[in-house]
Amino acid sequence: MSVLDLKDLSIDFPTTKGVVHAVSDFSVSIAAGRRVGFIGESGSGKTTTALSAMRMLAAPGFVSKGEIHLHSLDSTNLLGLSDEAMRKVRLRKISYIPQGAMNSLNPVVRIENQIWDGIIAHEGKVAPLELKRRSTEVLANVGLPAHVGELFPHELSGGMKQRVCIAIGVCLTPELIIADEPTSALDVITQRHVMQTLREVQDKIGAGLILIGHDMGLMAQTVDELAVMKLGKLVEFGPVKQILENPTHPYTKDLISSVPLVGGPSFLDSPPADHTNQTATSSSLDTPLFEFENVSKTYGEVTALHPMSFQLDGAVPKIISIVGQSGSGKSTLGSLMLGFNTPSSGKVKFFGKDINRFNSREKLAFHKDVQAVFQDPYACFNPFYRVDHALSFPFKRFGLSKSDAHTRTAMEEACDAVGLDPNLVLQRYPHQLSGGQRQRLIVARALMLSPKLLIADEPVSMVDASLRSTILKNIYDLKEKHDISIVYITHDLATAYHVSDYVMVLFHGQVVEAGPPKAVIGDPQHDYTRLLIDSIPWPDLNRDWGSASTAKAALERLDSMPRDQSAVLRGDIPGFQLESM
Amino acid sequence: MSTSATQEPQLTKAQQRKMRRFDNPWLNPKLLWGAAILIGIMALGLIGRLLWDTELVFTGSGPLKLPPIGFENLRGQSGITDHPLGTDGAGRDVLSLLIVGAPNSLYVGLLASLIGMSLGIFLGFSAGFVRGRVDDVIRVLSDVMITIPPLLILVVFQSAYGDVNLTMMAVLIAAFVWQSPTRLIRAQVMSMRESGYVQMARLSGASTFHIMFKEMLPNLIPYLFGSFIANVTTSIVTAVGLEVLGLGPQRVPTLGRTIYEAINAGALIQNLWWWWGIPTLFLALMFIALLLINIGLDEVSNPRLRKL
Repeated sequence: MSVLDLKDLSIDFPTTKGVVHAVSDFSVSIAAGRRVGFIGESGSGKTTTALSAMRMLAAPGFVSKGEIHLHSLDSTNLLGLSDEAMRKVRLRKISYIPQGAMNSLNPVVRIENQIWDGIIAHEGKVAPLELKRRSTEVLANVGLPAHVGELFPHELSGGMKQRVCIAIGVCLTPELIIADEPTSALDVITQRHVMQTLREVQDKIGAGLILIGHDMGLMAQTVDELAVMKLGKLVEFGPVKQILENPTHPYTKDLISSVPLVGGPSFLDSPPADHTNQTATSSSLDTPLFEFENVSKTYGEVTALHPMSFQLDGAVPKIISIVGQSGSGKSTLGSLMLGFNTPSSGKVKFFGKDINRFNSREKLAFHKDVQAVFQDPYACFNPFYRVDHALSFPFKRFGLSKSDAHTRTAMEEACDAVGLDPNLVLQRYPHQLSGGQRQRLIVARALMLSPKLLIADEPVSMVDASLRSTILKNIYDLKEKHDISIVYITHDLATAYHVSDYVMVLFHGQVVEAGPPKAVIGDPQHDYTRLLIDSIPWPDLNRDWGSASTAKAALERLDSMPRDQSAVLRGDIPGFQLESM
Repeated sequence: MSTSATQEPQLTKAQQRKMRRFDNPWLNPKLLWGAAILIGIMALGLIGRLLWDTELVFTGSGPLKLPPIGFENLRGQSGITDHPLGTDGAGRDVLSLLIVGAPNSLYVGLLASLIGMSLGIFLGFSAGFVRGRVDDVIRVLSDVMITIPPLLILVVFQSAYGDVNLTMMAVLIAAFVWQSPTRLIRAQVMSMRESGYVQMARLSGASTFHIMFKEMLPNLIPYLFGSFIANVTTSIVTAVGLEVLGLGPQRVPTLGRTIYEAINAGALIQNLWWWWGIPTLFLALMFIALLLINIGLDEVSNPRLRKL
């Protein structure tokens, strides 16, 4: 029996430049106990569609056509309800689990009070003991101990906060749960646990679930039916198995093929050569391009990075991947390499000279040779200037520009090289471009400066899934065609597997496993690497993710892992030398 | 969040016009009205000087206590065209007092605010950018200064110093309006220095000067404008407050000084309402204009305030 029916739904946003049809003629019905995924890139209307069922569209959006029926109501049409009747529907009948749990909980109210708020709003006065019993029960349902109720949000980890949001969402046993990218801010290990928790609690109360997301793998592991959306239209709908194995719409095919698999076919035209059988030859340069000499970083009591030494030759360009979950110290490593951070001990050397002792002229030369691509393509452009500024300013500053016309041609060539039409992107303001376009412009910027080393800190984690492989291809081309060595910092083992020549797995600021990707990721030896790989949601129904209890056991195993064990080294490649501590 | 978004909203002409504000936030009506009133006051000061005899601000240039045109004073005299807004107890022409006095009050406000802002930008950038010791000193200093009531110090200073001129007064007031821009800019700079584009600029080999003034400052402009206008208001309030207490410049006519003299001469009980009323009305207009500009600038820097 279906819980919610959306019939021919169209949602419009009137703007000064005409009406934007955010969603058009969308029909879907959600059955009790079924999980339906809405997948599509940002701006495809998936969140807008789901919010219309809560009647919480952001102004000035409105439902221009169609009906929304919630079948447990006397008059099933949601759009005809009064505001007060609608208030009673929210949370009790349809609940919403927001994207950023960090910002969704009130920081000054205890967790259990936030759960009680919802209960009291719908049931009026409830005895305190009863409230306490129910909040404890609902917390237990999402696998949290009772004492969590007495804590404040800042005392919980990201995964715990997201589970509290799920607990609030299910405390009145709604008929439908809408989860809007509930794990997008979490790392893979926590993501698995949260998603399994959500699945199990939803099974238990028998509610329907709408999961909004853009990750095909996550969908495959979680939902029963999948609705693929593009530009506000439903392009394909069906059981997840059918869509994964036999997609009919080209966009769906794109989405599926954009997820790289460990061990699967490469998305690159010329994947990196297999170095495993080669013996490490001595470096061809006397002084290595980049060197870490016992570098460590501590913030007060916390050790972000344990002493580490490596040498990057740079004679032959390499892609070195650094993988780990959030808090593993991988970004600290990146900022140490860029000189944004000074090491607590040891030396970071560039061509044999300590980068933290450079004078201003040497610093300029260093920055010319060591560039970066950051995670957030939205923040990397100064909103005050046209995007050209970000490309032309360093070009002139490093003395590469011969004339304005030369700068202009260099910019156009760089845009062409990363597959952007210079006429469409140059001379625009940052907010006029999409995230993918901006990130490619940053890659184009790096290309124009032709540095010796590029530090790419999670370059694709904030870009739509369908664009990730294209941008990684651009970055890979920097190495292949332009001889730039790259340090690729990521939490995504699948992409690291494909693009890199060497992989270092970081855990609590320590290298636990390192070597060529085929060995480290293809056949992991260390428990932590194995756990990371097991937690990846595969877009493959035959590879099950396991249940919440296995995810929980994995997290506990992670906590009990010894902190100071030696790294498992899996062979060397020429030109890069990691010294085991 | 709109809960009644079920029926199609009929966009009226007025709504469409309001929507256009999203295109250019600088053209919002509050900002335009505020600017228009302020420019009007300044125009009165400038054009009035050409068309009206400013010598009439001196004592005894006209009959005493004449009402504005169309009114009668207690002695039964009615207003004459030589003094359209009447005269005060010493025979000074009220219109020429406005023409000379209103720009003086604005001048003090603008100059004090300009000095205060410059100090604030300098100190705020230093504190936010350099951090460490410099930040500690500036932060503590501005926090302490915020707790000291400026009027108290100024009253003591002015009464000890005797007569001051307008510029001197502006400088004195400026010493009390630099704290809030300092704090504002410090906070903005501290969050901005971690932003992606500042890091990008550093990677581009940008100098500290370039990062401060080319990358950060342009993005602070709406805040700076807002803070500047708020400071002008504070400065004028402080200046008028001192003048009404009789502690302002003794030789230059200002709006506050006119009110001081009106109160001193018992204008309230003699029903000489034009003497104190018209300058007060002018000050009120000035504050309303500044407030409108401030709200308008708020909408520019914070798009969420732009409601339909």
